[in-house]
Amino acid sequence: MPEKTVSAQFEVYRFDPAHDSAPRYDRYTLDLAPHTPVLSALLRIRAEIDPSLTLRYSCRSAICGSCAMQVNSKSRLACETQIGPELERNGRIVVEPMRNQAVLRDLVVDQEPFWRHYDQIQPHLILDPRHPMPEGKENPMTPEEVDRFKETPRCIACAACFSACPAVEADPGFPGPMALAKLYRFVVDPRDTAHQDRLLAIQPGGLWTCLRCHLCTEACPKDVRPSERIRDLKEMAIAAQGATEPGSRHAVGFKENIRERGLLSEAKLVRQTSGISGMVGQLGQGVRIYRKKPEILKAPHKIEGLDEVQKIYDALDHTEDDAS
Amino acid sequence: MKLAYYPGCVAQESGKELDMATRWVCRALEIELVEFPNFSCCGSGFIDEANEVLNVALNARNLAIAERAGLDLLTICSTCQGMLSLANLRMKDPKVRTRVEGALKPLGIEYRGTTKVKHLLQVLVEDVGLPAIQNKVRRPLQGLKVGAFYGCHLLRPADELNWESAEEPHSFEDLLTVLGATAVDYRGRVMCCGFPIQFVKPDVASRIAGRQIDDARTHGADAMATPCPLCHISLDAYQNQAAKAVGHPLDMPILHLPQVVGLAFGATPEELGLPRHLVPTESAVAKIGSRVPA
Repeated sequence: MPEKTVSAQFEVYRFDPAHDSAPRYDRYTLDLAPHTPVLSALLRIRAEIDPSLTLRYSCRSAICGSCAMQVNSKSRLACETQIGPELERNGRIVVEPMRNQAVLRDLVVDQEPFWRHYDQIQPHLILDPRHPMPEGKENPMTPEEVDRFKETPRCIACAACFSACPAVEADPGFPGPMALAKLYRFVVDPRDTAHQDRLLAIQPGGLWTCLRCHLCTEACPKDVRPSERIRDLKEMAIAAQGATEPGSRHAVGFKENIRERGLLSEAKLVRQTSGISGMVGQLGQGVRIYRKKPEILKAPHKIEGLDEVQKIYDALDHTEDDAS
Repeated sequence: MKLAYYPGCVAQESGKELDMATRWVCRALEIELVEFPNFSCCGSGFIDEANEVLNVALNARNLAIAERAGLDLLTICSTCQGMLSLANLRMKDPKVRTRVEGALKPLGIEYRGTTKVKHLLQVLVEDVGLPAIQNKVRRPLQGLKVGAFYGCHLLRPADELNWESAEEPHSFEDLLTVLGATAVDYRGRVMCCGFPIQFVKPDVASRIAGRQIDDARTHGADAMATPCPLCHISLDAYQNQAAKAVGHPLDMPILHLPQVVGLAFGATPEELGLPRHLVPTESAVAKIGSRVPA
């Protein structure tokens, strides 16, 4: 028995930079079954109403990653997003191009920055020429070694994470979640011989701009969990190279800070991250805050049972020794 | 209701007004806050970056303290909520658990994993319930348009925290509505405040904070409200920097979650620590007037 249809209202972003001075939203109303994918609806609009609607798609099966766009402000693959739940929650379906990439036309964006950042992490095995693989031999990995990067190969490069990332939006130099997740894949690959160089290269301007807001993990249609892989990279970078950057100094400084009293000494953390010169730079802001909140300069009390906390550090924290 | 009160670092320090407002609201709702002077910092996501297992162990110790007292744990910070909840989850991984127990057992600390971690927002909406909250409203926040700002770690990763939809949450808006306020719908409400990189990449952090404040403002918000004191630092204490980053003045009062509740329950701005904010809150308070029955 055919499914009952619903009247679905679409508002679709339309913009042709060559001809339009500003974007507009075109409205279309279609009778569709609730399980209809947004992509199918858009293709029907293009076939039956407006052949100029421009969009990118290919497989229609959530494999190719071409049809990522914003559906009601969420990064989604249009082919696997059904209209029913969207209508229930929002009453209409607003379709917009992905964010953080320039619009070429309508729902098609310029993916150049996304791919540029991907290329920059050297997404291929780097082998040491002094130890070439013996001709005709394989370079085997254990199942445990493969397990360390079992999520990242699921990535279909749809750029939903790049579109959702607030660090990409605020800092075009930030590589974005996908490039960093791919980097992780090579840093834990036992066959790769450039682990240290990769970690060194990614730290300034790259790794430590991640806000660990998990918006990428939420947006990813393939559960690659980029934010968690970026966290892993940060811990590996500190273990291998110590606290060399403001970001790693902040993380390590925070850890050391808590060891002393069990609670955070706020002013001391600023000094640990920024150094004395950095503190001078923030003096004006510090005074502004101090006037309302004089506690920022006070060290907190030591918690009861601080010895327990310190013994936990003794048992589990050796990274600073390894790094020095 | 009786809960182990986990105020976190900031509410005991520069965000003391959050602690004041929490105590005021919990008194009004007869929620007994049991204090534990041996709780340590949750690690705020930073210790997690430096040493994940250490971070889990510190929080397993915190959870064991509440567990020994047979209490669920109340957080008032999105980040504390995330870190403590995820520690419960990571402890289900046998490899992590073995290492953590190796550090805790010699100290006589037993972690069993029975303590639930609940943010104040969850306790208000789910345990106290919206009808009971509505009964306590003495000064409805009529005329006040509030942009809820959730804070990342209360929502994400949603499949691990197992609470609300991270993309379309509604608890905070539901609460604001029963308090009489108008909840403003804007994309920024589930976005990041920039705080984690405030001291690492201040310019980028300020652009991110400014972006969300602007978003709330253009959607008509008179004030924003947050369940996270770290978001509060970014949005309030550093709002002047955010204004510089977006290139125009910002004047957005930023309220802590229990301050909004307290205002509706009839508390004075002083009782809720509002004068401690960097961005004056008078414009928001003026919108609701002082219609408290004598």
